[in-house]
Amino acid sequence: MRQALALLALAGVTLLTLGPDYGLGQLAFVATWAIAGLGLVIILGQSGQISLGHGAFLAVGAYLQAGWVALGGPPLVGLVVAITGGALLGALASLPGRRLGGLAFGMSTLAVALIVEEALVRFDGVTGGASGLSVPPLSLAGWAVVEPWHQFGASAAVLVLALLACRRLLNSRVGRAWRAVRDDEGAAAACGVDTAHAKWLAFAVGGGLGALAGALYAHWLGYLSPEQFGLQLSFELLMLVFVGGASRLMGAVWGAVVIVALPQLIALLRDALPAGVANLAGLELVAFGLVLVAVVLWRPAGLVR
Amino acid sequence: MIGQILLSGVATGCIYGLVALSFVLVYKATEAVSFMQGELLMVGAFAAVALTAAAGWPAWLAVGVAVLGMALAGALVERLALRRALGQPHLTAVLLTFGLGLMLRGGVTTVPAATHGAHQLPLPGLAGHLDLGGVTVSLAHVGVIAATVLSCAALAAFFHFTRAGLALRACSENPRIAAMMGVSTNGMHTLAWALGAALAALAGMLMAPVTFVHPGMGVIALKAFPAAVIGGMHSLPGALAGGVFIGVAEALAGRYLPEGANHVTAYVLMLVALLCFPRGLLAGRSA
Repeated sequence: MRQALALLALAGVTLLTLGPDYGLGQLAFVATWAIAGLGLVIILGQSGQISLGHGAFLAVGAYLQAGWVALGGPPLVGLVVAITGGALLGALASLPGRRLGGLAFGMSTLAVALIVEEALVRFDGVTGGASGLSVPPLSLAGWAVVEPWHQFGASAAVLVLALLACRRLLNSRVGRAWRAVRDDEGAAAACGVDTAHAKWLAFAVGGGLGALAGALYAHWLGYLSPEQFGLQLSFELLMLVFVGGASRLMGAVWGAVVIVALPQLIALLRDALPAGVANLAGLELVAFGLVLVAVVLWRPAGLVR
Repeated sequence: MIGQILLSGVATGCIYGLVALSFVLVYKATEAVSFMQGELLMVGAFAAVALTAAAGWPAWLAVGVAVLGMALAGALVERLALRRALGQPHLTAVLLTFGLGLMLRGGVTTVPAATHGAHQLPLPGLAGHLDLGGVTVSLAHVGVIAATVLSCAALAAFFHFTRAGLALRACSENPRIAAMMGVSTNGMHTLAWALGAALAALAGMLMAPVTFVHPGMGVIALKAFPAAVIGGMHSLPGALAGGVFIGVAEALAGRYLPEGANHVTAYVLMLVALLCFPRGLLAGRSA
């Protein structure tokens, strides 16, 4: 309850400082990132696996949705297609986890993500390649979601549904199996938990949520290109979860607030700087790195757990 | 024709191998998975370019000074930041090094002279081509291979014939017992990062005559992960061999497979290696 009030207050401040239209657009991005972060919270915080390539799931969701809509399919069914595609890729990416553990498994997720990114560039007949692809706005039963207000409403509704579904999952047998695998894989296996199945399920759920976020993101942005979904995105999502806290589902929401707010704060700072220093392309990179380093140095054990 | 493909593959592979070497060196000694080797490589190349182009130093002197400078910088970063990630989960070091890498890349990007126009580092003696009985050999490629062999020989000598090298090996093998024998493990961590940064920077400077020097050149370090994985993550000769293997495989894939396949070769090989040889192709061997 207190968290919900704090979020409401924050949303109010955002709308006052950024103006209603722009502010609502940014809030829509917060909700979308939070959905993607939720998937990583499940993989990282609940089942204890490292995913270094979460951006690939968003990429699959975004491109599946764009392709489906371009073919004339109804967008709502497209979301289901995107989620299925993301879940399938997640299941595929979790297969090396049957033989590998810890870091080596993380490396294999990185390899999968890099292969997906390269495939998006190569199959340019379908994906538009490096020059990108434009996506029409989301339309629900003949009503196009173009207003920032509607985009935020749609994202927030999906986020609440995802939060409820995840909470239900965590309180079930599946969630207990995840936490058992996270705390001690050997002990979990000894207690009869099918650890390979638990990892598989965590990646399927995480991948599905990532793809769902990617599909919404594709509509809000209206334009896709492979480099949006590279290593940078995967690490931004890791940073999101690290900052927000991987042990709680709400950590994803708070992390998303930080990740979306950061570029805005940097833009404000840039305006305050003298003209000669402003407009430097690297400033944003430095600031992102600085925040990441500061957070990690401040709490090196992370908010993981 | 095939000779040239192989030569350029081996030369590229040597760069991958050097970066993988720096990565494995750090990983073995400190358990930290570094995602900033590519940025160290880029900063090293820029340092050499700045010393030659802006300060007007002779190229080879600039290379030596830049390598030493990067070693110092690596030691400094270990002292100031990376030490805090010691003994934490892998993700802590991954995020910390990635953040530091972002700062380095952003820092270089903010320098207008670095982003405007492409820079080259002309190393005297490494320009032009050599005709060997009908096969044209690029001197830059030969130079990369020669420099890699030389620096690896120096590294091997350091590990086998000096007390610091012995201590570093002991510390990588078992830090607790090394500490009991009077090895300063903290000092060894600093030394490992200094060596890692210097090796990555050297790889960047060797790359410079072949490609251009630009802020995004650190991407090449992504190919060092497959090299390190194929080498088994714990073996220094394995990392170098893995790098050369990846370089040659990429060159062959670029020639004989459909276009674009060479970009994913390294990652596919890495997945296969992880699944079939989780402890590396040279399992059991270690430096």
